[in-house]
Amino acid sequence: MNILVINAGSSSLKYQLYDMKDESVLASGRVERIGMDSAILTHEPADKPEVRIVDEILEHTSAIKRVLDMLVHPEHGVLGSVSEIHAVGHRVVHGGESFKESAIVTNETKLEIRKLFDLAPLHNPAHMMGILAVEAVLPGVPQVVVFDTAFHQTMPQESYLYPVPMVLYRRHGIRRYGFHGTSHAYVSERAAEVLGRPLEELKLVSCHIGNGASATAILNGKSFDTSMGMTPLEGLMMGTRSGDLDPAIVPYTMNKEDLTLTEVNSMLNKHSGLLAISGISSDMREITEAMSEGDKNARLAFEMYTYRVRKYIGAYAAAMNGIDVLLFTAGVGENSVVLRERVCEGLTFLGIELDRELNAQRSKEARVISTPESRVKVMVVPTNEELLIARDTFKLAAEQSKGETEA
Amino acid sequence: MNYRKIGVIGAGTMGQSIAEMLSYKGLDVYLLELSEERLKSGLDNIGVSLDKQIEKWALTQAEKKLILGRIHGVSAIEDLSQCELIIETITEDLDAKKEVFRAVDKACPPSVILASNTSTLSLTELASVTAHPERVIGMHFVYPVFKVDLVEIVRGLRTSDETFKGTKDFVEQVIEKKGVMVFESPGFVTTRLICLFINEALHILEEGTASAEDIDSAMRIGYSFQHGPFEMADRFGLDSVHAALSSMFREYGELKYRPSFILKKMVRAGQLGVKSGTGFFSYDKDGDRV
Repeated sequence: MNILVINAGSSSLKYQLYDMKDESVLASGRVERIGMDSAILTHEPADKPEVRIVDEILEHTSAIKRVLDMLVHPEHGVLGSVSEIHAVGHRVVHGGESFKESAIVTNETKLEIRKLFDLAPLHNPAHMMGILAVEAVLPGVPQVVVFDTAFHQTMPQESYLYPVPMVLYRRHGIRRYGFHGTSHAYVSERAAEVLGRPLEELKLVSCHIGNGASATAILNGKSFDTSMGMTPLEGLMMGTRSGDLDPAIVPYTMNKEDLTLTEVNSMLNKHSGLLAISGISSDMREITEAMSEGDKNARLAFEMYTYRVRKYIGAYAAAMNGIDVLLFTAGVGENSVVLRERVCEGLTFLGIELDRELNAQRSKEARVISTPESRVKVMVVPTNEELLIARDTFKLAAEQSKGETEA
Repeated sequence: MNYRKIGVIGAGTMGQSIAEMLSYKGLDVYLLELSEERLKSGLDNIGVSLDKQIEKWALTQAEKKLILGRIHGVSAIEDLSQCELIIETITEDLDAKKEVFRAVDKACPPSVILASNTSTLSLTELASVTAHPERVIGMHFVYPVFKVDLVEIVRGLRTSDETFKGTKDFVEQVIEKKGVMVFESPGFVTTRLICLFINEALHILEEGTASAEDIDSAMRIGYSFQHGPFEMADRFGLDSVHAALSSMFREYGELKYRPSFILKKMVRAGQLGVKSGTGFFSYDKDGDRV
């Protein structure tokens, strides 16, 4: 069974084609600048050279058509015909409270996703365009939606509610939803697999640290608390996002600097975090480089960043009354040796002993980087959200076709 | 209708502000000016305005680059023939505007909507010089365009339902502003009310009832205006306020529209407000109150 995984943005679209026999990627690629007469399609078949095309692609339906053309292309393609695509899985950022797990796309599903446009105004409408485009081009092929928020729907009320008037929760759904759920779910399962221990018995803190960053407390295999909140702005310090701050700073700054809502929003999302403190970059690689050259502001940015990661790990260890596994994933988490070292240095009281050599080794495999004596296993687990989307899609599509034959 | 390329005729204050907003919304903008010099100055001012927004953390340098990259300066009306919608925003001079509409009507296929940003002139009269008056409509923006989410959509006598619907969709779906439907009438809703408000403030000042500063404070703090009537007038440009009032005075023939003498005097003295640095108050080159 071949599964096409799609991540549709407002003017871009990424795709991977999986063969679920062995979970191998047959091809992947992306379309950028949708809506322009100079859109770019980059197609990377597994065993053939990369192809790049610049052409007019005005909307998502034509983008999907072009992707399918590529997948069955006599020279660059990997399939004989589009009928070999058996199901399509979509990444959807916000599933609100309606989606506690992945779902087959039906009219009701689409209606629910539409209702959530308010909560994810930048993302959900774009995902919907992707779903409608596939529907138009591949009618009859089952589609599955996999939500960033779904994994966190297991959080108890005391984790997800904010101490503000309850009427806001009832009226507008103001609560913690959390993000990166697909990633946290995938890496925690993978960690248990590598350790050879049942996930249901572990207390795990997972740090997804990339451009955006979030930490999740995973208790007995379920999300118990997570650092991102109603929006991806809360929690850890990030590349250009502030993360946690005193909410009173917002009206105070608006008043003092005469800012509008849009301006203050943009300030916290695009002009804060590593970029604001270092004055150099939002990219952790550039920050560590500048720091090694003696840049004081880069050092401060790095220290603040790692301090805040440490605080969350401590808080979540307390929340779960213990911690068995600490894991790092995503761009920075998987690649920054110094970040992991600095975070773990201050956590020895918890029983964390990092093996500096193991930590410094580069690898694409999930691995343990703590000493054998360390009470808490520290791990690096490369994330693979696309694979998890493919797996969920495979499972739901198979169940659906089974249900149909039985009926 | 799929809107991607929008023509803007005139790179003055409103033209700049409209072009900046359209490009911010991701549209390709073709900005037309008569001379190379005026075009350059218009584009430079858009750059300055974007820099001011960066200072306020509203934009990043990368976003500024993208926004400027989508604004293409052009010099011939034929360069606009690929646009799906054209917005004229030259000075409020009926004959000059007629000239523009005559030319643009010839240059563009009949499916293209031709809009004017006029605040006081008759759309019906502008449309009369074209072969397709049904596609002529008014789109009256309020300055600064990227901040004020209101457009008066003005129907002339012969504007078609299709043109109105296309314009309303553009305003509400593409650039995400509130569109209010107005039937042609001098000053529409916004200009008519706000100019009378400013003119009455001028009378209060003339009579010596209160100072400009105090009148502004009273209205700003007392009735939640962002700026009081005098700073508002300074920001619109006193010449524009004067022109709007004079035009309404002519059209309606009612005394309440007669521009105050102080206003006339200041325009004659070249004290036009923010754009000349002095009006009722003083401003630096970034347009901030000194």
